[in-house]
Amino acid sequence: MQRITRVRQVLAMASIGSLVLVSSLTAGAASTKGKYNAADAKLVPTSFKGKTLQVATDATYAPDEYIKGTTMVGFDVDLMKAISTTLGIKIVENNVIFDGIIAGIQAGKYVIGNSSFTDTKAREKQVNFVDYFQAGEGVYAKSNSTVKFTGFKSLCGLTVAVESGTVEQTDAKAAAKTCSSSKKLTIRAFATQTLANTAVLSGQASVGFVDSQIAGYIVATVPGFKLVGSAVNVAPYGVATPKTTAGEGLAVAIQAAIKTLIANGTYAAILTHWGVSSGGVTSGKITLNGAIS
Amino acid sequence: METNGDVTVKVVPVRHVGRWIGAVVALVLVAMLVHTLFSKVPSGQYVCQTVNGLRHCHPKLQWRFYWNVVGRYFTSSEILHGLGLTLLLTAISMTVGIVLGILIAVMRLSSNRVLAMTAWSYTWFFRGTPVYAQLFFWFFLSFLFKSISFGIPFTHVAFYHLHTVSFFTPFRAALVAFGLNEGAYMSEIARSGLMAVDEGQVEAAKSLGMTRGQTLRLVILPQAMRVIIPPTGNEVISMLKTTSLAAAISAVELLGAATQISNSNYQIMPLLIVAGIWYLIVTTILSIGQFYVERHYARGALRTPPPTPIQRLRSDLRGVLSKVHTKRVPAGMSP
Repeated sequence: MQRITRVRQVLAMASIGSLVLVSSLTAGAASTKGKYNAADAKLVPTSFKGKTLQVATDATYAPDEYIKGTTMVGFDVDLMKAISTTLGIKIVENNVIFDGIIAGIQAGKYVIGNSSFTDTKAREKQVNFVDYFQAGEGVYAKSNSTVKFTGFKSLCGLTVAVESGTVEQTDAKAAAKTCSSSKKLTIRAFATQTLANTAVLSGQASVGFVDSQIAGYIVATVPGFKLVGSAVNVAPYGVATPKTTAGEGLAVAIQAAIKTLIANGTYAAILTHWGVSSGGVTSGKITLNGAIS
Repeated sequence: METNGDVTVKVVPVRHVGRWIGAVVALVLVAMLVHTLFSKVPSGQYVCQTVNGLRHCHPKLQWRFYWNVVGRYFTSSEILHGLGLTLLLTAISMTVGIVLGILIAVMRLSSNRVLAMTAWSYTWFFRGTPVYAQLFFWFFLSFLFKSISFGIPFTHVAFYHLHTVSFFTPFRAALVAFGLNEGAYMSEIARSGLMAVDEGQVEAAKSLGMTRGQTLRLVILPQAMRVIIPPTGNEVISMLKTTSLAAAISAVELLGAATQISNSNYQIMPLLIVAGIWYLIVTTILSIGQFYVERHYARGALRTPPPTPIQRLRSDLRGVLSKVHTKRVPAGMSP
């Protein structure tokens, strides 16, 4: 995913720079940092106060979370930083494999899962979610591909690359069951999104299936890719916390913090900075466990 | 009571106090392990019933190690399918590895310097890079070669074209990676076996008029096998678990199948236990096989082969029985 040529890198930097410039002009110099809010901070359960909270993130998902040089950056990462500033808590971001995050939260290794989690009913049985964004699922392929995506049925007969443990893997599995035995859908699941992208680039998979804005970013930054068809299954993203009393309390605090960040313009500034404004939601959509499927 | 010259000495068995304490500690630890393995913990749910108009509730218990979930998935079709792939990968990779290993070991010991250096370089390369990296190398080979042609070198004459992407499926890429890598390790094992055979054996074979090929096949290899078998058994067991790396290139072997199930039901521990038990079962069967193969090749070297576990159990029982028997002999009657 970091296969950006020098020229493109410069162009990307320039465009991001101009976006920031535009947003700061329109939003009245709203920063992406956020600031301490005493009322929201009161909501943080006592057991978490003064502690450093362990956050789990799979940083192979640009522009939401990825590694640039040696640091983790992205829309989710900035939002989490702004949330922690608002609540006055300390956090440490851990870069881990996606399909181990929910188990890690249940085992008590992490108290926050911040990794573009689609809030689903199945996942809500395992963790709490504070919904904060909306994304669909998109299909991408190599530029010279002749594949057409017109709904899941059209994936039959193809090899699809997905990241292990994502909703795309679940949805591709369900789609595979509807294919006839002569046109089987082969799913190749990889530990990271980067490997799934590489599989598409190498020809080991005919298409990749990933959250829509990630697909958009891959196509824009890695040469040799294109989007196929339009996004499907638009669903909320959620920040995950443990299914314990303290975990539920923390979810309420995070919910209040995000609402504050929307009200003071920080939320919009972060989304604009990372070019994902189309997935932004209003304050009323910042719900607890609001899965639609 | 026995006499030693004038002094009467009471003979007592040596008291192995340290050993006994050690055994007791080990037994307690084993008991604790078994206890925790089969313990139950509150599930967080309650079972309520109404008796004489009063509601009684007590916490619902569940296995700490989720044995009910383990049982549910232990023989599920995904797991068995994954197990089949693991066994197939292990068997084929090891076969490739052993054949390649013997070939490279013989080349390495050749007096032809080109052959010896080629063999040395092979081992140097495949042993010197991580098998995990080699796995990705073969899976993504299409970045380097769109197709591979078989024909006359340095000309455009080709008899057969191999389309890289369609040839290197996750399964085949894993086979090639594990087989070639294992060849390097097996060559070192085979070489140590060949070198362990006394030089006099070669001289004797020569004096009998055997060709080099006959000497290798009929004299050296059968004796070298005795040295080669134990580490090879080790390699087979190691390979069984190494195949789990193939999940990285999306081959759904045993551990990959377990991960796929836990990705949808979030029962990560029970599925790791399911995979773990299957690996242990296969390892146990392989270890038993290794014992008998070792015993077979020990024929030429040992006058009496080591007893099989069944024979040992029988002799232990006989020992215990004879002790019981001698105790029954009245005092004063013993010699």
